[in-house]
This record gives sequence, structure tokens and C-alpha cells, in this order.
Amino acid sequence: MITHHLLPEAAFNALAEGGGDQAAIQLLHHAQLSKHLMLLQAIAGASAGTDRGSAAFRAGFELLARIQATDPGAGAWLLGLPHLGGWAHDCLIRLDQGSPTDLGYFACLAAAAAIRVGVPFELDVPVRHGRIRLPGLGSLLVAAPSAWTGLCCDGEQVTAGDHFAADRRLLAPDDGLAGAPQEWSGTPAIRAVADGLAWNVLLETGDSYLDRYTLPISTGLSPAELQRWRNHLRSAWDVLVRYHRWAAEPMVAGISVIVPLTPHSDTDLVSATTPAAFGAIATSWPPDQVTLAETLVHEFQHVKLCGLLDMVPLLESGGEKVYAPWRQDPRPVGGLLQGVYAHLGIMRFWLAQQHAETGQDDVLRAQASLARWGAAIGPAVRTLQETGCLTQAGLRFVRLLGARAGDEASGAVPDEAREIAGEAALDHWLTWQIRHVATDAAEVADLADAYRRGERFPAGAQPRTWLQEETRKVDSAMRTRLLNMRYLAAARYRELCADGALPLSEPDRLLIARRSGEAVRAYRALIADCADPQPDAWIGLALALHQLPASPLQATFATRLALLFDVHLCLGGRVDPLDLAGWLT
Amino acid sequence: MTSQQQDLKTLIPDLRNIPLDRLAELGSSALAQSIALYRERLRENGITLSSFQARILLTQPDPD
Repeated sequence: MITHHLLPEAAFNALAEGGGDQAAIQLLHHAQLSKHLMLLQAIAGASAGTDRGSAAFRAGFELLARIQATDPGAGAWLLGLPHLGGWAHDCLIRLDQGSPTDLGYFACLAAAAAIRVGVPFELDVPVRHGRIRLPGLGSLLVAAPSAWTGLCCDGEQVTAGDHFAADRRLLAPDDGLAGAPQEWSGTPAIRAVADGLAWNVLLETGDSYLDRYTLPISTGLSPAELQRWRNHLRSAWDVLVRYHRWAAEPMVAGISVIVPLTPHSDTDLVSATTPAAFGAIATSWPPDQVTLAETLVHEFQHVKLCGLLDMVPLLESGGEKVYAPWRQDPRPVGGLLQGVYAHLGIMRFWLAQQHAETGQDDVLRAQASLARWGAAIGPAVRTLQETGCLTQAGLRFVRLLGARAGDEASGAVPDEAREIAGEAALDHWLTWQIRHVATDAAEVADLADAYRRGERFPAGAQPRTWLQEETRKVDSAMRTRLLNMRYLAAARYRELCADGALPLSEPDRLLIARRSGEAVRAYRALIADCADPQPDAWIGLALALHQLPASPLQATFATRLALLFDVHLCLGGRVDPLDLAGWLT
Repeated sequence: MTSQQQDLKTLIPDLRNIPLDRLAELGSSALAQSIALYRERLRENGITLSSFQARILLTQPDPD
């Protein structure tokens, strides 16, 4: 009789609060081992063919069974590899689509596990780009220009075809020490140790089943680049262990592979995870160790949630797309849940990091980041609760998450950091509304007619709105960058402001200089005097109004900006935006 | 950790102690149901990334 993995309530609660100790992560990891066995069983059902790939899969399957019997730990090592997860998911999807599958890769996986512990075998394995890939260990260059070759291990010696023979122990990940055969390219292994806590992680640059993160994997790292990654990860580990032990300790059990990504531009920082590869985090080169540490915390949150979602459904399918304060696009409910959970981790990161920083700008960055994401989580949690898509477990998870965020957010953040974070968040929300909120044209026309006739705003009028990918084009990237630069790159921000050569419109320049009253007048004139729609100026006007003392107009601009814009457009422009906003308020 | 009564039963069958070559013998059991359920999820959702975070590094670029 089969039992199911159990998840203690305490572990569920700890995960919901953004944490989870090593024992909790081990529970997620163990469930992944079973999931991978499930996937292997499903693939086995489709591998009865007489082709070479099917035969190699069956041989690998038989080898893994022997490994499990001989050395259960080695079997678990293989089943825990994110490489296996990536391959098995792709394989199943391709089987369902009736597409060709790479069944032979499983022989490579099983061979890697056998070589690692000295279990004898004799297999045919695929050769790709002249190499036999041994996931989790490295790859072997073979001379024969063949798609397949024989790979054997007698328990001590590994031979490949007629050309290669070496002690199996030399076919190991590259820990920076010399001694491997020249045909062998070990996967870079990084061991980071801080305050007695060790983290062993592979830097995977060659496996096609971990090349799955939209951006390309960084292949062919030079020795210098590799050393930079080693140093960077060790420095980030120091930060995590010293100030964020709540995240570092479980990361030891949960993250075994880092996949370096190549971004489109050197100025982009991109990171990603996938539920198909539990235990792997992909990231492009981060500028400093604190940013890398934050990225690891962020992505580890996603890894944990993916593991939990495999075990416990938190969401029903369906639901409308919604606003996520960290994304430019409307997000499905599942995407918002992932984002909220990641940002709870980020918030906890900055909560501690603010006390670790000593430089004034670094402290500001930490405090403003804490203020920004701390303020974002509560509303996002309410959005999740209102979608009707959460299961009972999901409702409980989100309630615990929200409560933890509320507790953490209650700490004092200096006014300056709070104000900078608030303005960046408001800019994001306003820009998102203008970009994505569509309004009912007939109802907007009725309102415009009422305004034209000098009537009062119809009591209770709530024109219908919905979301679209791009309702209006917004081009305020420079203003947005500067608002974020105030806390993310304060020195650069001061430098740009000081040299006065910012490529901004005059109203934007006044806004950035916090000459708020003048900025309001300038935006107002720009909108009223121009017959063409000015979505960027409407956002700027809303931002400038929020720099002034509180007034009822602020709420109208913050919550009904798309409607204001559309009614104004329907009136043919050349109407004072503040007069119209007053009418709508 | 809390008592057994408070454990959540999950969707994943615990296969860790079942030898790989005996999994097939469980073919028509709860394992088959779990596999079918998981494949159904894959068919519905595909394998989307659980996260894809893209940020512009504000310290390096010139704004112009």
C-alpha cells in the first residue's frame, strides 16, 4: 500500500511565513525524489520501443535500480538532481505531444550516479557535440564522431569506447584542483563556508535541460570568469550566513545548482527558477555580493513555494489577471502568489540588511527597499484573498504570510526612505493603470457629456473597467528610472542631478527637483494646452500632486487615473485636468 | 514538529522506499492516479517559469 508524503502543520506554517528550516526543506526535497520517481515510471511506460534511446533508457532504469539496492544515498543523489527534473518534465511533455524524446539522456544520468559510487555498468550513451554528459559531474570529450558510444565502469575504472580510460574518481566536479584527465571537463563545484556553515553548489553551464530560463545559459566561462563566480558566490554566502541565517541554513538543503545566465544587455540583472528543476537557481552576473545575496533569497522563495505547490494545492485554476506591485504586466493569480511570497523573503532580507550596512547610501537602499516591499505585500495579499481562487490551504497560507509581513512592516523606517519608496511605488501603480486599465467608451462619453453640460458628477457612476496588455503607450522610463535610482543608486542619482543634463521634460525636471507646485502647474499646462493625449504627463501630474500636502484630489488621481485620462480625451483635450479631477472627486 | 493528526496529507505518494523495479507492479494503484493527476497539471499549465525577474542595473548605465 502506498502512503503519501506528509507535511507537518508546523512546517507548513513556517513556510507560509517565508521561512522553513532545514528539516522543512528536506521534506520538500524528499517529495521531489518521489515526484521524480513518478515521472520516471510514467516515462518507463512509454519506453518499450526498439530504438536506441528506449533501450538506453531501460538500461539506465535497470542501473538505477541496482544503485538503489547497493547505495540508497547514491540513488537519492541522482533523483534529487535538478537536471533529472528538467529532463523528465521535458520528456513527459514531448511524449504527450507525440514529439521525439531524448530517452538516452537517462542512461547518462544513471551512469553519473554509478561512477560516483563505483557501481559497475556497461551502457550505450548518447554523444552530443562530441561529449558524453554525466549530469552532476561534468562531461567527457570523446574522439569517435558517433552519436552513441559505449561507456563502462568496472567499479574502479571508467572506459569510453576504445579511446578513454581513467579512474572513476577523477571524473568528478571541478573543485578548482588539478588532476583530471584532459578529456574531462568537471562541472565547476563551489564550496562556500562561513561561520562554520558550508554550502556546496554546482555552477552548471553545459546541461541542455537546465538551459530553460528564457535567456541563454552562459557557456564557455573562462577560468577568470569562473573564479569571479566562485568569489562572488562565496562573498554572497558570507552576507547570508552573517545576517540572514534564517535563509542560509535551509538553502544548504534546498539549492544545489546555480545556472549563470547571459542577459541581453550588461545592464540587465535577470534571475529565474522553474518548478521543473527544484534546487536550481538561474541568475545573470549581479553587480555586488549584497545584490547576489538578495537574489538568492528571492529565488529560493520561489523554489520553496514550487516544492510546496507540488505537495499541497494552494490555488484553484482560473481567475482574472491582477496588479502585482513588482511587475509591469497584469499577472495571473498563481504569478501573484509567487511574487508575494518572494517579496516576503525580500522584505525579511532588507529588514536585517539595513542593520548590516554602514554607508549612508547603502542604509538608504536597505530601508527604502524594506519600506517599498513591506507596504506592497498587504494589499497584494488582500488581492489574492479576493480572487476566490485560493483553496482552504491557500487561504491559510496567505493569511499566515500576510500576518508575518504585517509584523515585519510595523518596524520604523525613517521618513526619507518611506517617502522615496512611496513615490517609486506610486509611479509604478499609476503607470500600470495607464498602461493596462481600459474603460467603457460609452460610459466615458456619457460622463464627458455631463461635464460639458455643467452637470454634477452622476452619483454612484462607476464606469466599467477591464485589463488589457497595452491600453495606452507610456514613455516615462527615464523619470521612473530616476525615481528608483534615488534609493537604488543614490550616488549616481546625485551625480546626474548635479550635472543638470538630465534628458527630461521641463515638468519632469521640476518633479525630480521636488519643486512640486511648479511641477503641478507645468504638467497642468502641458495637458490643457495640448490636443494630443499626454499619458506621461498625467502620471507626472499625479506624482507632483502627491508631493504636496494631502488633498481629496490625490485619491482621485491614485485610483481613477485611467478614467480621468479617457474622459479628458473624450472632451477633446484642452480642459484643465485639475478641474476635471475635482468634478470626478 | 506537531503531532501526526496535524500533518497535511499531500498529493505526492511516498515512493522512496519502493525499489525502482517494483514501481511497475503498482501500476494500477494510487501511483497511477498520482501520475495521471500530475500529467494533467503539466498538460494544463505547461512548465512556465515560477519566476523571471528582470531588473535594470541603475549604477552602470548612463541615462542618455
